[in-house]
Amino acid sequence: MTKTIELRVYGMTCDDCAKHVSSGLKNLNGVKEVSVSLKDGIAHIRATDTANSNDLIKLDVFKGQYRAQVRSVKND
Amino acid sequence: MTEYDLAIIGWGAAGFAAAIKASELTSNQMKIALIGTGELGGTCVNVGCVPSKFLIEASKNYKEAKSPAYAGITSSATLDFSEFMESLNQFVSGERETKYTSVMKNFENIDLIEGLAKFIDNDTISVNNTELKATNFIIATGSRTFIPEVRGLTDYYTSDTVWKMRKLPGKLAVIGSGEVALELAYAFSNFGSEVHIFNRSNRILKGFDDDVNSQLMAALKSNGIVFHLGVNFYEIKNEEGKKDIVTWTGTFGDFDEIIVATGRMPNIDGLDLRAGGITADNGIVVNPDFRTTNPKIYAAGDCVRQSLKLETLAGKEGVIAVENILGGDRRINMQEVPWVVFTEPNVASVGYTEAELKKKHIEYDVRTVELKNVVKANILNSYTGIAKIISGKDKKILGIHVIAPMAAEFITEGVYLIKNGLTYDDLIDTIHVFPTVAESIKITGQAFIRDISKMSCCMD
Repeated sequence: MTKTIELRVYGMTCDDCAKHVSSGLKNLNGVKEVSVSLKDGIAHIRATDTANSNDLIKLDVFKGQYRAQVRSVKND
Repeated sequence: MTEYDLAIIGWGAAGFAAAIKASELTSNQMKIALIGTGELGGTCVNVGCVPSKFLIEASKNYKEAKSPAYAGITSSATLDFSEFMESLNQFVSGERETKYTSVMKNFENIDLIEGLAKFIDNDTISVNNTELKATNFIIATGSRTFIPEVRGLTDYYTSDTVWKMRKLPGKLAVIGSGEVALELAYAFSNFGSEVHIFNRSNRILKGFDDDVNSQLMAALKSNGIVFHLGVNFYEIKNEEGKKDIVTWTGTFGDFDEIIVATGRMPNIDGLDLRAGGITADNGIVVNPDFRTTNPKIYAAGDCVRQSLKLETLAGKEGVIAVENILGGDRRINMQEVPWVVFTEPNVASVGYTEAELKKKHIEYDVRTVELKNVVKANILNSYTGIAKIISGKDKKILGIHVIAPMAAEFITEGVYLIKNGLTYDDLIDTIHVFPTVAESIKITGQAFIRDISKMSCCMD
């Protein structure tokens, strides 16, 4: 089983930011797929059930310029 | 309906700190509603710390000008109280403009909305009959003065309204004996008013050990303040502009003005907290991370159920609430929060008192040094006061309490010591500037290891 987590990501200002956030999100075990929208400041993460959504926003990528908040978690 | 990432209810110290921190952490991408009533900045800048410290410093200046402390110096000084109070209000306006109004111009992501907010449900509020939704909320509505029910108590000032006073009272009654009451009483006594403090409790200040309180009371008495503590007053009589305070033990009369300073209560009445799923009990109930019983809603500052009501604490709580909203896990250790009564001498404190440690059955050592052992205090002709350090059995400093001139300026040393778990050996090993009143902390640390009467200046 997988789930899709939506994060509101703050602090992204360019395409490189979106790539950096996308790459950082993949550092959590269980993350299968990441899609980041610079325009909306939103990231969608498809992850296994074992991945904790609250661990995503504690990743290193969110300890500097970028900050995130979990907006929704939906089972696929 | 307008939707925000964060709605902050209250635009005082906690609300502003939260709004600015949230903007900084999100590169101004968080859409924020900052909702409030009255002047921007809330209690501190408008009717609290800023005007009261201006009043105190000016009153000290006047008193010193009238009665210089050093031999061979004579002077005279006059006071135009009305002109002075106008200048005080202008100063407050200037600080409000600089620290709040102008600052807001840097944040286009923040909408200022004037009005009273109330919860409709757990993610919707109503302001001026317009509904507003937000993903996150911080309640930071502050506090207001508490007025006790006393028959005839109708014509009085409070710490919110005393700034409108233009005629110096010849005889002033201050009801209350907490820090606000003592500071106002002290300032007016410096200006020459005959000041009487009345309180139903038989002690001054909460949260200090008796030795600290008795030193302060002695200093205030020598400043001319008359204390009526443990007095049950039940009626105020207003006759021909004069006010009498009727107590069970007699009537104290002919007061020109009364200031009521009997504490503050949280501003939470109109919020309809229940609709937002928020529990309150003499203040909003929060977890250590400042989350309320509704996990989407945080609270910070004086509206929270907590005994300390300080601008610095409110600002810190606003910041921490935002950091926790954005994935943080931060707390405040209340033993690291300094607080000060700005009388002269200042009372400054951080960490545990002896009474608190006894209650917790924690073993401790304590040393108290009188100010006469501190050269700079003697230079200042300031002999009333003590410095007191409480340490654990492992020598770690647990509490520092000082009554001394300018103690507000150096109590932060105590904060660093406690926050970093340092010992009195670390304190002694730190070179302090001589002569300073701040040296009183080091000398008190030295009292743990030696007889300070057998010690020369500036030695470890």
